[in-house]
Amino acid sequence: MGLLLLGVLALLLGMGVWIAMSLMACGWVSLLLAGKMTAGQILATTTWGGANSWTLAALPLFIWMGEILFRTRLSDEMFRGLAPWVGWLPGRLMHVNVLGCGIFGSVSGSSAATCATIAKIALPELKRRGYDEELSLGSLAGAGTLGILIPPSITMVVYAVAAEVSIIQVFLAGFIPGLIVMALYSGYIVVWSLRNPDKTPPDDMKHLSFRERLRESANLIPCTLLILLVFASLLFGWATATECAAWGVVGSLAISAWSRMLTWKSFWDSVMGTVRLSCMIMLILAGASFMAVSMGYTGVPAALATWVNGLNLSPYMLIAVLTLMYIVLGTALDGISMILLTTSIVLPMIKAAGFDLVWFGIFMVLVIEMAEVSPPVGFNLFVLQAMSGKDSMYVARAALPFFFLLVAAVAIITLWPWTVMVLPKLAFPG
Amino acid sequence: MRRFLDALYWSCGALAGLMLIAICIVMMLMSVGREFGINLKGGDEITGWLCAALCFLGLAYTFKHGDLIRVTLVVDRFAGPRRRAIELVALFTGGAFLGLFAWFCTRMVYDSWRFAEFAQGVIAIPIWIPQAALALGVALLFVAFVDEFVRVLRGYKPCYMRDPPRTADEIIERAAESGV
Repeated sequence: MGLLLLGVLALLLGMGVWIAMSLMACGWVSLLLAGKMTAGQILATTTWGGANSWTLAALPLFIWMGEILFRTRLSDEMFRGLAPWVGWLPGRLMHVNVLGCGIFGSVSGSSAATCATIAKIALPELKRRGYDEELSLGSLAGAGTLGILIPPSITMVVYAVAAEVSIIQVFLAGFIPGLIVMALYSGYIVVWSLRNPDKTPPDDMKHLSFRERLRESANLIPCTLLILLVFASLLFGWATATECAAWGVVGSLAISAWSRMLTWKSFWDSVMGTVRLSCMIMLILAGASFMAVSMGYTGVPAALATWVNGLNLSPYMLIAVLTLMYIVLGTALDGISMILLTTSIVLPMIKAAGFDLVWFGIFMVLVIEMAEVSPPVGFNLFVLQAMSGKDSMYVARAALPFFFLLVAAVAIITLWPWTVMVLPKLAFPG
Repeated sequence: MRRFLDALYWSCGALAGLMLIAICIVMMLMSVGREFGINLKGGDEITGWLCAALCFLGLAYTFKHGDLIRVTLVVDRFAGPRRRAIELVALFTGGAFLGLFAWFCTRMVYDSWRFAEFAQGVIAIPIWIPQAALALGVALLFVAFVDEFVRVLRGYKPCYMRDPPRTADEIIERAAESGV
C-alpha cells in the first residue's frame, strides 16, 4: 500500500500537478484505501485546525521581516562595513561573502533571498578587483544557505510546526551549527588561497586607519542591534517566537526608514510578496497535514518505522541513508515540500532510533541547504546563474566544494550532537 | 467578466495583506501591553484567525501570480500542443480536488452556522465568521483554476506561466520570492 501511494504521488507530481493538491489527492486515496468514508470532513477540519494557529502566525511575520530588508540598501552597507576588516586573512574580501551571508541570515529566513542580497553587491565588486570568479560564485552559493540555518528561518518554522516541537528551541539549535558551517567555508577559502597565492589580489584597504574603518562599519550598527535583540529575546525567553517576529518586523521597518528606503510602494510590495510566499507555504502545509493524518489511518509510517527498526541499522548508518535519500529528493523538490512530504513518515523512524527531534530539525535544514546548491533545481544556483551570466554547469561546479563542506557539517553534528543541543538545553533546562 | 474576476483575485489578495499588517499590530499590542500590565484577552485567538484568513484569502492571487509551486522538471521538457495537453490535465486534476476541498470547507462552515457553534475561548463569537475566510479563499482558488482551465482550452497561455525574466534584477527578485 505504501508503494501504491508513493506511485500515485510521484505520478501527480511528475505531471506538474501543484504540490499541495498532489498531497491532498494522495491523502484522499489513502483514506479510501483505509476504508474511511469521511475524507472530506477530515480534510476540512485538519486544514482549519492547522491554519488557525497562533504559533504559525510567526511564519508570515518572519517572511515579512526578510522581505522588508531585502528591499533596503543593507547589502551595500554590509559590503562596505565588512570589507575593511578581512584584509589580513588569506582570501581577503572573499570572506565578506561568508560573513555577509551569515549576518544577513540572522535577520532573514530565506536562503535564496540571502544569496541574492549579498551577491547583488559582492559579485561585481569582487570581480572588479580581480578575485577568482569561480570561488566567489561557489562561496556565495554555499554561504547563501546560511539564511535558513541561522535563525530566524522560514524552513525551521515549517519544520517545528510539522514536527510539533518548539520553534524557539529549533531556532536556538541553529546558531552553533551556523557558526560551524561559516568556519568550514572560511577555512576552505583560506586553504584555497594559500594554495593559489597568485589568484588573490593585494589588500587595497590597508591605508585605512582604524577610525576610518569604524566609520565605514557604522551603517551596520542598526542591523547588529536587530540581530542582538532577536537573539536575546529568544535565549532569555522575553518573548514568544511570534512576538519576536513582530518585533523583528517593526525593527526592520525602522532600519528601512532610517536608511530612507521606506516608501509606500516598497512597503506594499513587501506585504504582497509576503502574502504570496505565505499562501504558497500554507497550502502545502494544509495538504501535508491532511496527508499525515490520512497516513496515520493506513498505518504505513508505523509499519515502516518498525521495519527500519528491525534492520538494526546503527544510528550513524540510518543518518547516512537518510542523507542520501534527501540529496536525491532535493534534486526534484524544494526544501519546504521536502520537509512536509517526509516528516509524517520519517519522524516515527527517527524517534524510534533515539534521536532528538530538535536535533533532527537541524539535520533537515542542512540537507535542504545541500539541495539549494545542487543542480538541477537549486535556487541559489538559479540566482547566481542569473547574476553572473555563466551557464548552469559552471555555477554548479563552482558550488561543488561547498556542497561537500555541508556534508562534512552533517557528519560533525551527527558525531557531536551537543553542538546542536547545547543552546536549547541552556535556555530550556529539563 | 475578465476584469471583474481579476479585480476579485486582487482585492482578496490585498485583504490578505491587511490581515498580515493586523497580525503584526495585534502581536505588538499584546507584547507592549503586557509591560504596562494590560492583558489583552483573546489576542492569541484573534491572531490565529487572522493567520488563517491571510493564508486562504490570498490563494487565488498567489496562484494567478504563478507562485503556487509544482515540480516542472518533467513538464518543462514538452512544448507546443503536448505541453498544452499536460497543462490541461494538471489543471483538471488539481481543479477537481479543489472542487472537493471547497465543497467540504463550505459544508463545514455551513454546519458551524447551522448548529450555532461558538468559539471555545475568551472571545465567544460564532465560529463560522472566522471559518468563512477559509471557505471563501478555497472557493475562489477553485474559481481561478476553472478560469485558467477555460483560458488554456481556448488557446491562451496560462497566467501562472510567466515569461522568463529578462533583466538580472527581475531574476533575482523572482528567485528570492519563489525559493525559501
